[in-house]
Amino acid sequence: MKSSIILKMAKRLTTRVACCWAIGLAAAVALTTLTASTPAVAHGERSQQAFLRMRTLNWYDVKWSKTELNVNDEMELTGKVHVFAGWPQAVARPGEAFLNVGEPGPVLIRKSAFVGDVPVPRTFSMDVGKDYEYKIVLKARRPGRFHVHVQINVKDGGPIVGPGQWITIKGDMKDFTNPVTLLDGSVIDLETYGIKWVYIYHFLWMAAAAAWILYWFMTKGIIVRYWQVKAGRAGELIGPNEKRIGAITLAGVLLAVLGFYAAANKEFPRTLPMQAGLLTGISPIDEPSPTVSVRFRGGSYTVPGRELHIKTTIVNNGKEPIRVGEFTTAGLRFLNPDVIPQRPDFPDYLLADRGLSVSDPSPIQPGETRNMEVIVQDARFDIERLSDLAYDTDSQFGGLLFFFDPSGGRQRVEIGGPVIPKFRSDVTL
Amino acid sequence: MSTSTEAGLPPGKTWKSKEEFLGCVILTDWILLVVLFAVLLGSFHIHYMLLAGDWDFWIDFKDRRMWPTVAPIVAMCFAAAAQAFFWTRFRLPIGATTVVLALLIGEWINRYDNFWGWTFFPINLVFPSALIPMGFWLDIVLMISGSWLVTALLGGLGWGLLFYPINWPALAQYHQAAEIDGVLLTLADLIGFNYVRTGTPEYIRMVERGTLRTFGKDVVPVAAFFSGFISMLVYFLWWKVGQWFSTTKYLELEEV
Repeated sequence: MKSSIILKMAKRLTTRVACCWAIGLAAAVALTTLTASTPAVAHGERSQQAFLRMRTLNWYDVKWSKTELNVNDEMELTGKVHVFAGWPQAVARPGEAFLNVGEPGPVLIRKSAFVGDVPVPRTFSMDVGKDYEYKIVLKARRPGRFHVHVQINVKDGGPIVGPGQWITIKGDMKDFTNPVTLLDGSVIDLETYGIKWVYIYHFLWMAAAAAWILYWFMTKGIIVRYWQVKAGRAGELIGPNEKRIGAITLAGVLLAVLGFYAAANKEFPRTLPMQAGLLTGISPIDEPSPTVSVRFRGGSYTVPGRELHIKTTIVNNGKEPIRVGEFTTAGLRFLNPDVIPQRPDFPDYLLADRGLSVSDPSPIQPGETRNMEVIVQDARFDIERLSDLAYDTDSQFGGLLFFFDPSGGRQRVEIGGPVIPKFRSDVTL
Repeated sequence: MSTSTEAGLPPGKTWKSKEEFLGCVILTDWILLVVLFAVLLGSFHIHYMLLAGDWDFWIDFKDRRMWPTVAPIVAMCFAAAAQAFFWTRFRLPIGATTVVLALLIGEWINRYDNFWGWTFFPINLVFPSALIPMGFWLDIVLMISGSWLVTALLGGLGWGLLFYPINWPALAQYHQAAEIDGVLLTLADLIGFNYVRTGTPEYIRMVERGTLRTFGKDVVPVAAFFSGFISMLVYFLWWKVGQWFSTTKYLELEEV
């Protein structure tokens, strides 16, 4: 009866399953190989909470040495980062951090990376309240137009993305090379190194496995074996002859494993374990303490108007008059056009060259203490979703205020604190 | 016995001839093989990617301690379950080999099509762990001994012990060293550093972390023995899981 059921099922399934399988396989192959992929245009930095971007790492002086490259050309991504002293309690502190690049896959490879003058191919430690200078050397690999950010990943805190710039790469990826000199002096191309052997090694074993499976499948298949096992004749299926074949195969497999292992050791007699470890004690930027101090006296954010009002008390302890020229936060730069009339070279989507004003534009004289309101207003604040500050659980802003003196000096001061959102009943936002 | 009413058939017969019957059996065998292979490929692939994950994805995660411990243990689950199915129902000594081949085919499609084809990570960053000889070992130990207990003990231990030597021939070349900006790196480290992964910072690697320092640099054998021991336990459990699912009771419908 059982065999009859199976025979009937087999007959029914024959054409239907074969047909479904063929169509399904064709669809899967088509979907996975033929569908054109579209380039990524951003890396989700806007989706990160506003307080996270404003009060963790403040990026400034970010520069991309080139925005157009040919394959194999190198560029530098440099800048400075201030580790916010008022680091949010909700985010792990950057005791373990990694200098990274935000880009859609390795379109540029990272040839080297430095924090200060220390190379950082590994994880390093940063202290809150300090500023660090970084440099990443990138080499163009894949043609296209890509958005390239600086980024620092913080352990248990996640990636914190800095400003991004569009980089255009021309040429052909087939021309890309990544030469590396080994300790023995030989030079290899890491882009392709060892890949052919990896294919051969893996596919040899896979072919052997396929042969083993097919051998047993071809001798009595599946259904006939099932009938025999059900009939209590399982012992007939694996007899001394089958065991002999198995033993010979196993001996061959183990000999091959030994042979490959010995050959690898002979070919590469000097190998090292992978290198890992935390780099600590990296020196922050060494510069004199600012002669200007800023006390935060309260702030508000007018949601419909996208205006951040910061009440401050500024004390100028320096020898020259100073003026507030820039406020930077979350990679955005809001400039006071009275102080910085020339538009600097910076990605447009992050630069509000008329986005900053102050209640009293006259210079703050040496020794003067002044209560002043700093107003940040620009659509970019909203486009970059910093307005969501009003809906954060920890509604505090943060950023850097830059002061300029007549002789070209610049000082930066961290500022941050709670802001009160202001809504208007007749406007929904 | 027969319930067929198809025209042209001899009375009381389901098939016109013996040849037609055998042809149907062979065709169904092939369909079963392909379907089973695809099901095992999909399910094992998901299982392995979730549990072995980064250890299997990246060359710079394949260390001497965590990788040879984790990868064989999580791979053992499906190997044991598949053996229970193929051996107890069909006396086929191909369970472990079939699942590891299915896994590797799935992985290679994934690594080539997705990791290289879409994201352009070089294959030397993303090639999977080799597992095939471990499948041979487990299947042949079961075939020769005919005992799942022996297979669990001997096969499980060998499963863990074989993992690193099997992978070393592909891996050794990437453990040559280079000096980059005054820092010593293996090529495996360097590939991971050069080819940017936005969401995979260096600190999530677990390279030889732990307190096992007594054996000096010879950490692989210790990790392999531990892996083999846990693989034995996993084998017992997953053999039972395999047996539990190796049934046709869900198909025994009245109308059939």
